[in-house]
Amino acid sequence: MRHGKYPFIIGFLVVPLALYLVFVVGAYLQMFQLSFTDWSGFGGYHYIGFDNFGKLWDDPVFWIALRHNVYILIAMPIVTIAIALFFAFLLNVGGKSKGGVTQGVWGSKVYRIIFFFPQLLALAIVAVIFGRVFGSDRSGMLNGLFPDSWSPWLFLADERWALVCIAVVLIWQQIGFYVVLFSAGMGSISQDIYEAAALDGATKVTLFFRITLPLLWDTLQVAWVYLGIAAFDLFALVNIMSVNKGGPNNATQVLSYQIYLNAFQNSQAGYASAIGVVLFFLTLTFAALTLRVTRRDAVA
Amino acid sequence: MAAAGHDDGVVTVGRSRIGTIFANTGGILFALVMIFPVYWVLNTALKPRDEVMSFKPYFIPAHPTLDNFTSAIKAENFLSGLVNGLAITAMAVTAALVIGFLAALAIARFNFYGRRAIIMIILCVQLVPLLALLIPLFLMLQGWHLTNSLVGVALVYLVLLLPYTVWTLRGFIAGIPKELDEAAMIDGCTRAQVFWRIILPLTGPGLVATAVYGFIQAWNEFIIINTLNSPDKQNLMAWLLQNQTERGTAWGPLMAGAIITSLPVVIFFLSIQRNIATGLTAGAVKG
Repeated sequence: MRHGKYPFIIGFLVVPLALYLVFVVGAYLQMFQLSFTDWSGFGGYHYIGFDNFGKLWDDPVFWIALRHNVYILIAMPIVTIAIALFFAFLLNVGGKSKGGVTQGVWGSKVYRIIFFFPQLLALAIVAVIFGRVFGSDRSGMLNGLFPDSWSPWLFLADERWALVCIAVVLIWQQIGFYVVLFSAGMGSISQDIYEAAALDGATKVTLFFRITLPLLWDTLQVAWVYLGIAAFDLFALVNIMSVNKGGPNNATQVLSYQIYLNAFQNSQAGYASAIGVVLFFLTLTFAALTLRVTRRDAVA
Repeated sequence: MAAAGHDDGVVTVGRSRIGTIFANTGGILFALVMIFPVYWVLNTALKPRDEVMSFKPYFIPAHPTLDNFTSAIKAENFLSGLVNGLAITAMAVTAALVIGFLAALAIARFNFYGRRAIIMIILCVQLVPLLALLIPLFLMLQGWHLTNSLVGVALVYLVLLLPYTVWTLRGFIAGIPKELDEAAMIDGCTRAQVFWRIILPLTGPGLVATAVYGFIQAWNEFIIINTLNSPDKQNLMAWLLQNQTERGTAWGPLMAGAIITSLPVVIFFLSIQRNIATGLTAGAVKG
């Protein structure tokens, strides 16, 4: 058995590793290289040391974009996880218990499909749909539901609410995945534990906080990392939904969109690469911190 | 408690009936919020133009029409978008399944030097913010004359799909008891026969779930293809966005277009709904 396993392994792994080296490692190296140049996106370039990063430090739009990323990084995962946990619990153990087996609420199969549905739609389609939902005149879906006496809400065209609207769309789209993810996690918790606790007179709330939550911790951690990464991205929604390129008045500006604008519209590919480098380190730091901070000893 | 009265075998937990009513109402309300935009899309796509733009909301089209669908299909680049999207998706998903399956097999079945490092690499690729790589990827493909080509885009999608594919399939293969392999080999099977006769058939559902998830990802992508290719070499997602900016307020055809472009994914999903939910989350839970 021992002999002859390495040819197998090498043969199986050589293609994916080569692809990874060329397309991911190679691409990152090139991005780092470009971040030290004044390349416009066309023709030649010169190395200019850390000038791009100095310019970044003094760029107010960069800081606005970073602040928005951080807002969403804090708010979006909390809201998404809270709602998803609540519904996953409802779907799995919210209903009556029959013969000692706790069940989900009535119709939980239908809910599962409904919650999961938005996950199937491309962000492009989601963004287009919500452009209609948030339409700023009376023909918009939400404004159409309000009484005639109200003046129409501006939603995405309102500086104060534009970013909230985008966060709402993101939550709407992602929640189904986390309901399913947490449901799967809850499904692997032994029924005996619930049964024992229920016999001891535990309420649903107690069951949730004392049993479900601690036993689901690893899954929550994974969810937090995924959501955090989504919070650093945001490009698709901002690109399609925002009024006036990350507006109004930079109200929806985020880092990934700054990369895009600088690289493909302002012909500052070197500068855009510098933002990319910052985004790279931010994402890695976030993932490492999350995994470290939330790590704890296994619960019995 | 109250609800336990009418059925002997029932252990009712907590606040019983009131709690159940509360839970059900909450569930239904939230489900309505979740589904309402989708209903509104269908509604808009079936309305004639004057009803779409009307300030009075029509919850059901007064004069339902399929005009929006025909005008979407007849729009420029629709057919090429459909064909391109299918071709790119087929290439990327097939390649990802073959390459990913073998890699998953190596990781799940063999213990070797560097195995942990490879698992870390797979997980790290998923953390990469895609947009940061757009500039270098564009340059790389340009150097190989693969911009404005379906193969170039398929190659990038393959790289994006691989980590998930390997990770999920690893979970499925690890679920097959190793004793099965060993028993077959004692009976005289070669490694290749073990692969064809045992591992491949038993991973069937996993392969289907992974393929569908890959299909959804590749079909729905539009940022990369929009950057690399010109409109006649793009997919339906990019086509949809193109239409949005060009037509401004032609919401009816736009919504019809949105329905048509998401149809393949929805059909796929509904046909194997159970499998994909497990497949999607397998990697994350077993991780």
